Amino acid sequence: MNESILQLENVKKYFPIRGGVFSRIIGQVKAVDDVSFKIKKGETLGLVGESGCGKSTLGRTILKLLDPSGGRVYYKGNNIFETDKNELRLLRRELQIIFQDPFSSLNPRLNVGEIIGESLEIHGIATGKEKQERVEYMLDVCGLAPHHHRRYPHEFSGGQRQRVGIARALTLNPDFVVADEPISSLDVSIQAQIVNLMEDLQDKFGLTYLFISHDLSMVRHISDNVAVMYLGKVVEICEKKELYQNPLHPYTQALLSAVPVLDPDSKLERIILSGDVPSPADPPPGCNFNPRCRYAEKRCRQEEPELREINSGHFVSCHLVQEG
Amino acid sequence: MSELLQVKNLYTRFHTEDGVVPAVNGISFNLNRGESLGIVGESGCGKSVACLSIMRLIGHPGKVEAEAMLLDGVELQSLSEKKMRSIRGNDMAFIFQEPMTSLNPVYTIGFQLQEAIRLHQGLDKKQSQDKSIEMLKLVGIPRAEKVFHEYPHSLSGGMRQRAMIAMALSCEPKILFADEPTTALDVTIQAQILELMRDLKERINTSIIFISHDLGVISEMVERVIVMYCGSIIEDTDISSLVKDPKHPYTIGLINSKPQINVDLEKLDSIPGAVPNPLNMPGGCPYHPRCNKVMDICKEKFPEKQTISDGHHVSCWLFSKQGREIKS
Repeated sequence: MNESILQLENVKKYFPIRGGVFSRIIGQVKAVDDVSFKIKKGETLGLVGESGCGKSTLGRTILKLLDPSGGRVYYKGNNIFETDKNELRLLRRELQIIFQDPFSSLNPRLNVGEIIGESLEIHGIATGKEKQERVEYMLDVCGLAPHHHRRYPHEFSGGQRQRVGIARALTLNPDFVVADEPISSLDVSIQAQIVNLMEDLQDKFGLTYLFISHDLSMVRHISDNVAVMYLGKVVEICEKKELYQNPLHPYTQALLSAVPVLDPDSKLERIILSGDVPSPADPPPGCNFNPRCRYAEKRCRQEEPELREINSGHFVSCHLVQEG
Repeated sequence: MSELLQVKNLYTRFHTEDGVVPAVNGISFNLNRGESLGIVGESGCGKSVACLSIMRLIGHPGKVEAEAMLLDGVELQSLSEKKMRSIRGNDMAFIFQEPMTSLNPVYTIGFQLQEAIRLHQGLDKKQSQDKSIEMLKLVGIPRAEKVFHEYPHSLSGGMRQRAMIAMALSCEPKILFADEPTTALDVTIQAQILELMRDLKERINTSIIFISHDLGVISEMVERVIVMYCGSIIEDTDISSLVKDPKHPYTIGLINSKPQINVDLEKLDSIPGAVPNPLNMPGGCPYHPRCNKVMDICKEKFPEKQTISDGHHVSCWLFSKQGREIKS
């Protein structure tokens, strides 16, 4: 189980800022900057961070849904970023994505059978009756009724639509699925249904998930390992238990302490961060987090820290964390 | 503690082309002076509509009816529109969910702040400007004098929400309605805003009605909670008995379906099904199609309010005499 299915090396995604008379490139937004990690087969890697930290961009870039600006992503030994169109199409069978908003990610003019079955035809896997059977099977495993294939997206509730989105992603039997905030637009009582479904399907089909979310308690529930992003960089990555019990990066500590706890008597000390996330177009020199960090020293304002292994399997990018 | 707001049998119905949507279905509650009350529920349960109805901010095709809506003993429904306008923003203020859309993008922050102060407090331009800047400083906005002249787009989400709070508190309202004030914000910013609101509440002694779908946020902010489902209040109690000893199956489901950051769970308890279509409400208790303890009587009649202990009420047949007789 220890073999890695996906390996990211220095993945970068910069968006140009255009301005002036001729729309020249006058700057860059470093949405994802130098991200490296591995995802093991069958695990769920949780990717957390605040809005604008680049977590969704990273999810899309590693599937090459966005053109990368640099770096390599190895899937089963092949670099995804160097594949041509045909190879990429073959890879799409194995790498899929579940989108955040089930209201805008389903085509309102197609019925559910067409939405789920489309990819089967495109990849020449099944047509006609065979396709129909596969669609009905997928609807069934995703908790919808097989006769729902005739219905259109508007006839479903948010939770049901997200089930359709999941069925669509899984119909080609992928190995790796990016789940980009799959529950954040759903009501609390529905979120648990979708998370339970995703866990059941993972067991059933042996899936590997990259679970992107800003909901730290849900990530704790579903993940095996967790990566924390801040301003385009991974600042801490390790096993789930270790991260939630022994967060080392000052940002992770503040993030975890900010989560409201359902206990009126709780006397947990809260770390209140001052200020906002800086603009990724103009990140501060040195460590990205230094203007908001309560421990920041001179060194933090000058040198950029690297992601170092502090304990076994626990990587942190902070100058001030000591090894051992 | 004296009663500041009394709401009795409030109904808000929207008369749409497809039929009547009963958004709020006969809710009654009281708010004491200086108290903070939470309203929790999922989207569409009527929590925001209830508060907007009290402020008389429901427009066509909505219709508000209530047996009584008393603010400090004054019946709000009998007031003229002009009188109501002097109460809105002055005695009752509202913080909206989306700081991005609830500030007017074509006016400066200062102009929007001054507007309420000048209208309600009769201060002149200079005085209202000083007061606005003082408010901006109170809510922790750095460079308040500069921000006064800036437009909403140049502020971040957290700063805009601070400006909204400054605006709402500028006339020292008796009641502050906070409608999911932190839902659109990131966790670290949410922590800042909640801290600020707690701090201001102590300083200004305003009563707060705090609306949220997040029980975690509610439990940090309020003393007493109302749980709403499909336009009805199904449980109301103080926060610690709600968390430690919830009674209604929906409240229990709501608490268990959200994992806690400090607790490990094998499997989440989810509530099956979805919130029913408001045009086609199930008869009896609206929760019965999703309830795991459903009995025959639940499908026929809406359960009456039952008292569990002093200050803890539940609308569920499981706790009524009739329900207990059926069960045994």
